[in-house]
Amino acid sequence: MAERLANRLKERRAELGLTQAELAAEVGVTRKTVNTVENGVFTPSATLAIKLAQSLNVPVEQLFWIEK
Amino acid sequence: MVDRDLEAQVDRLSRKRARMLPILAIVFLSQQITYFSTLNTPGPHAAEKLKISAWLVLSVILLAGLATKGFWFQPKAVRDMLDDENTRANRLIATRAGFLASMTAAILVYIDTMFDTVGGREAVHFIMSVGIAVALISWGVLEKRAHQDG
Repeated sequence: MAERLANRLKERRAELGLTQAELAAEVGVTRKTVNTVENGVFTPSATLAIKLAQSLNVPVEQLFWIEK
Repeated sequence: MVDRDLEAQVDRLSRKRARMLPILAIVFLSQQITYFSTLNTPGPHAAEKLKISAWLVLSVILLAGLATKGFWFQPKAVRDMLDDENTRANRLIATRAGFLASMTAAILVYIDTMFDTVGGREAVHFIMSVGIAVALISWGVLEKRAHQDG
């Protein structure tokens, strides 16, 4: 069965009132990287996943999980 | 560090790159059509050399763009951010597609040599052109897709 890395990046970002560009600037990546992670097009590295979680003030496992 | 101006500049350049990559591939491919269509036409020796040199220079520039962060005249901070995780992944996928296309072209040339005489220069020209063009197009498609809002 195929597994994929699901996330609630968009919801958490909206809760904090951040735009993709603002989050991207915070983490030090381009807006399109945040966009592709949110859409599930791109699977981030552990480093980027942790950086995103830290910026959004949530534990990484609450932001990302494996979906079967 | 939060630098929204830097992010905005990088986003603008990244979108520009996504638009430019397929255009570059078309320009590059049209140059090859001209080259191969006038291959056996006798012409001045200097013009022939100039044409080959122009192709070689363009190929080296495009290969360098594919192999490095590109945007060589931008500050380091901009170049580093432009080559972020997603861009590197897209570039790797595109380079792989280019390599596989080059190998396919090489196989086709190899088969062709069983039936026809193929010059060494023409073979290299064809194999390199196919690989570079495919890599540019696939990188452009991936970058364009990455910019699309979901």
